[in-house]
Amino acid sequence: MKRKKPTSALLTALSFPLPERLAEHLTPRRILLLGIAFFVVLIAAFPLLWMISTSLKPDREVLAWPPYFLPKHPTLQNFWRLFTQTNFLIYFKNSVICASLSTLLSIAIGTMGGYSLTRFRYWGREKIAMLSLLTYMFPPIVLIVPFFILFRAIGLVNAYSGLILAYVSFSLPFSVWLLRAFFLSIPLELEEAAMVDGANRLEAVVYIIMPLALPGIIATSIFTFIVAWNDYLFARILMGQEELKTIPVGVQDFFNMAVIDWGLIMAAGMMITIPALIFFISSQKYLIEGWGAGAVKG
Amino acid sequence: MWSKEARLGILLILPTVLLLCLLILFPILYNIWLSFYAKHAFLPLQSWVGWKNYLSMLSDEQFWTSFKLSLIFTVSSTAFQIVLGVLVALLLHERFWGRTFARGVVLFPYMLPTIVSVVLWKWVLNDQYGIVNYLLQAWHFIKQPIVWIGPSNMMKSLVMVSIWTYFPFVVINVLARLQVIPLELYDAAKVDGASAVGRFFYVTLPQLKEVLFVVILLRGIWMFTKFDIVWLWAGDFGGLGESVRTLPIYTYMKTFGQYQVGLGAALANLMFMMLMIAVTIYFRVFRRDEEVE
Repeated sequence: MKRKKPTSALLTALSFPLPERLAEHLTPRRILLLGIAFFVVLIAAFPLLWMISTSLKPDREVLAWPPYFLPKHPTLQNFWRLFTQTNFLIYFKNSVICASLSTLLSIAIGTMGGYSLTRFRYWGREKIAMLSLLTYMFPPIVLIVPFFILFRAIGLVNAYSGLILAYVSFSLPFSVWLLRAFFLSIPLELEEAAMVDGANRLEAVVYIIMPLALPGIIATSIFTFIVAWNDYLFARILMGQEELKTIPVGVQDFFNMAVIDWGLIMAAGMMITIPALIFFISSQKYLIEGWGAGAVKG
Repeated sequence: MWSKEARLGILLILPTVLLLCLLILFPILYNIWLSFYAKHAFLPLQSWVGWKNYLSMLSDEQFWTSFKLSLIFTVSSTAFQIVLGVLVALLLHERFWGRTFARGVVLFPYMLPTIVSVVLWKWVLNDQYGIVNYLLQAWHFIKQPIVWIGPSNMMKSLVMVSIWTYFPFVVINVLARLQVIPLELYDAAKVDGASAVGRFFYVTLPQLKEVLFVVILLRGIWMFTKFDIVWLWAGDFGGLGESVRTLPIYTYMKTFGQYQVGLGAALANLMFMMLMIAVTIYFRVFRRDEEVE
């Protein structure tokens, strides 16, 4: 489409009868489209908005009937109780430790593996790639029993290291698969050229490959982090002690209280969602890329 | 030179292979071994029972109920996720004001930890204080509040929550594919006089076949093996949760509730075999060349 000069576009827009440009934008089809889009966004966002509203309401308003959206006396008392009267901060700390350490490990191992799978030839190379795909089929419940028995035998139950190891083996096939796809997209000639120019392999990898693979590595880290951050089953089985519980397990146990404290639970929900939201917004670009490489092409 | 290269490659892949063995080979073999024993989860009691664990499942009514519930849950939640996901992807592919924002909002539920989507839907659907019941009553759709998280509606509400939580996965994959469909195809179809609906069926859908093949496969597998959202949604499997006691839940209960590890292992193996059979059939029916890209 040809771009009109701003002045003439303005003139067209202001002219009467119904301006051409506006008419172009507000066809019945477009209005319908906007309406449906608004509806879809509302459905997707409504439970979240309701959570925000509830978390800011004082007790009396949480259970008010009829319910209303805007808190009349907004307060942070739910958050205050969450931090002072429950072990939420301990759960939070545990979740951060386990999710971030397992992500680091999984990415380190997965990067080496993904690089090796795309740059070297040896027996069984394709089989390893297929094996990692096969784990998509694994019911987590199949893994948990052998893990539990093995870990109990070697004393890794109720220990950070046990849960971290479980998360690494759980997310590794996925990160190897994703990273392999990213490394495949980087032409071999690049590092060959660098090595012809006198760089050794390590230098070629550090200066040529890593900068190109970085978006892929970031995308993969986000996925592995989320897998660990969201996990309920492994944490439930492997971390029985109160001071070792992660957020999903700890928050689920809030439902065991005599009276379910919805304000408190919604505040906890907010505290889990905010980091996810920040993460999501700041990394949306990489996430889309990762999805493209991992799930569409592979 | 060549062998030195190969050695480096093998050295780099070694940690991955070791962990994959720990993850895949060990659990498979150990589960098979376990499934022939009657073993207690905590006490050092175990004895060889042969095929008894498997045979007892075949005559176990609860097992078949769980199997049925698993099928209902998997098929209904996957089907709705796919249909809704494709529709929303088509919508978000159109140009309209605020599209980027709409995309972000729609994709976000997939990023939420399961526990959050569970607690917020439990609150929204609460029978006494929930906003959904209030709105339905205020708009005169219903007279009495619906007990969403009660025995008769548990499966429906669980499927609903699963759709809300997981359909963005479908959206993002389909959307990524939609963006690379060559526009000339649509122009050609227009010249041939195809309507909007015709263009969808003759141009868009064939182009989406590949991605839908993978997405349906993955979503189906993941819904069949899903533990956490089902477990968290029901919360209590003593009474209420019976109506959503799918196979993963049943396995968990046998293993960690009744401490019958051998039986649990047999169940897990049965589940895995069912999945393998279903996946094989799926490949046979929908893809003759049997190629995974």
